[in-house]
Amino acid sequence: MPSELHTSRTRRWLLSSPPVEWASTQLKELFINSVRQGPVPQHVAFVMDGNRRFARKNHIETVEGHNMGFEALAKILEVCYKSGVKVVTVYAFSIENFKRPLHEVNALMEIAKIKLMQLCQHGDLLERYGASLRILGERDMVRPDVLEVIDEAVEMTKHNDRSILNVCFPYTSRHEIAGSVRDIVSLSTSAEPKPPGSPSLSDDSMSSGETATPGITDFEAITEETITDHLLTAGCPPLDLLIRTSGVSRLSDFMLWQCHQDTEIVFIDCLWPQFDIWKFLPILIDWGVKRRKMEKAGLVEVKREGNRKDAELNSHRQRELEERRRARLRSF
Amino acid sequence: MATTGHQPNDPALTPRRPSAVDFDAATLKAALRARRTQPKSAETLAREKLLLPHLPTNDVPRGPVRTFLSTLLHRFILLLIQTLFSIYLKLRWAYNNIMNRVYSVLYYHHRTPQLIEKDVKPLKEGGKFPQHVSVILEMEGMDGIDRLVDEVAEISCWCAAAGIPRLSVYERTGVLKSYIATSHRAIAQQLRLYYGRSRPTLRVHAPHSRSFINGDQPTDEAEQIDLEVMFISEEDGRESLVDLTKTLCDMAQRGKLSSDDVSVELVDAEVKETSMDEPDLLILFSPNITLRGYPPWQLRLTEIYNVQDNDGVGYQVFLRALHRFARAEMRFGR
Repeated sequence: MPSELHTSRTRRWLLSSPPVEWASTQLKELFINSVRQGPVPQHVAFVMDGNRRFARKNHIETVEGHNMGFEALAKILEVCYKSGVKVVTVYAFSIENFKRPLHEVNALMEIAKIKLMQLCQHGDLLERYGASLRILGERDMVRPDVLEVIDEAVEMTKHNDRSILNVCFPYTSRHEIAGSVRDIVSLSTSAEPKPPGSPSLSDDSMSSGETATPGITDFEAITEETITDHLLTAGCPPLDLLIRTSGVSRLSDFMLWQCHQDTEIVFIDCLWPQFDIWKFLPILIDWGVKRRKMEKAGLVEVKREGNRKDAELNSHRQRELEERRRARLRSF
Repeated sequence: MATTGHQPNDPALTPRRPSAVDFDAATLKAALRARRTQPKSAETLAREKLLLPHLPTNDVPRGPVRTFLSTLLHRFILLLIQTLFSIYLKLRWAYNNIMNRVYSVLYYHHRTPQLIEKDVKPLKEGGKFPQHVSVILEMEGMDGIDRLVDEVAEISCWCAAAGIPRLSVYERTGVLKSYIATSHRAIAQQLRLYYGRSRPTLRVHAPHSRSFINGDQPTDEAEQIDLEVMFISEEDGRESLVDLTKTLCDMAQRGKLSSDDVSVELVDAEVKETSMDEPDLLILFSPNITLRGYPPWQLRLTEIYNVQDNDGVGYQVFLRALHRFARAEMRFGR
């Protein structure tokens, strides 16, 4: 099978000729606008797997593979935001990846820096779609020079409020959940002045932690939502769709807490740089068809583009629906 | 790259960062900051021109009639797409179901453990083989519990014959946990159908209830259990993590623990102790992959497998999942 890098010259010429390009742009636009009319997932997550394998397969540099992966991401982001997805979360770098050889980690960090720079260049694109950038992960594991770039990029897109791009870097879901538990524990101790255990530590974490959340005095009041609200994705609508490329059917420590309930998980057998709109749209349409069926059965509430609700309202409704579903199960 | 592109020949930039040459991050920061203020160079303009047709138009809103008409058009196209897609799904469903039938005829176990052993032998020799398999089952309708127990018994027999020592069964409501004794009897009976008189030893239990029903062998020979079946439910997922958080809060308030002690290792150890360890392979018998509240902490590296358009428990699904598992290469991280 000829790889897509080496498509014949005539074909490439034909595809890049103005009329064909115009037609394909129009077609994409038409499809995206149509999809927008139906149910659209509010929160989509991607595991961008397969950049290195793509590079190996096509005999190009690994760095080049990652760059092509970034191109693919930019295109997919455009499709997402155009069709009405509010939050996109991507898995850029896992904490496990630190276990790779040092020179490779350093190379990856450089790539990440370049990628973020590119994101800033494309910042115009993020600005157009009103997307703000958020970096989820363990900050203290990142080199200070990379951290500076990150902060700069986040700062630049901070005022965009129409949609969100979450970049998980360096992230694992277990660290995220443990971090949430840690925050709650430190909040519960700082609220209680009685214990003589370690007041300085808890005071410290209080001042650096959530300022909006008051201390938790009664730990019996802790619920699933408390943990959800202390995760890195706090405030985002529930995850509707998770896509992993390259045919590996594992979550690899990504969004465990967020995706284990009603999230539709799709494992697709193509490498990330090859993942384009024509592979993504069927997944979106499939999701829409399924959602429509569920809406008809009364299992989920009808949500459409246009009637906007904030994330908190959303999670509240989701909770109500959950209660109803459980009650239904109990009545059997 | 843009930073190198307009570095030397842009006069507006040069005086602002004299020390930028030796420190990379400072260069970048300055360049980023300069992006906002600098007058657009010819190169930037050219780049914008290239980008502009791909960006959405943010012109003044069109008239109401045109908007209405375009919305109508898009609705119609969506309806068309969804109809065609539904037809495609029906066709795919039909094709896959025929294939599943073919598979289930070709690979039928005939309740013979030797046949199952033969099926999995190349997998055990060639690739990875799971030591802990998990399945998600669903209870439907009034007589759901009978069917559920039957399915558990069947799957247990396949695991015993394939040589998988641990099986965990997830059912959302946790109804199975109150039928541990019944399940043990049913599985033992089914095992007798497969093996005859000398059936493998069996232990059935659930994490929270701590009620170990040890039918055939009491406590003294606990190590030599051939098959361990565990029932888990939604409460072993999020709820157990919430309970853990409460316990940790309690300890912290009594001064036994500082919040900095809470780490991934601590949570992992506690979760392993109270519920179960990570399964190697998770098999779904549903047509699409939704986890329905399966314990999240344990899912980290679990291979998740289902058969497209399949709905229902079948030996071929089990076998295909094992095949798929053996072929997958194990890579940590991404």
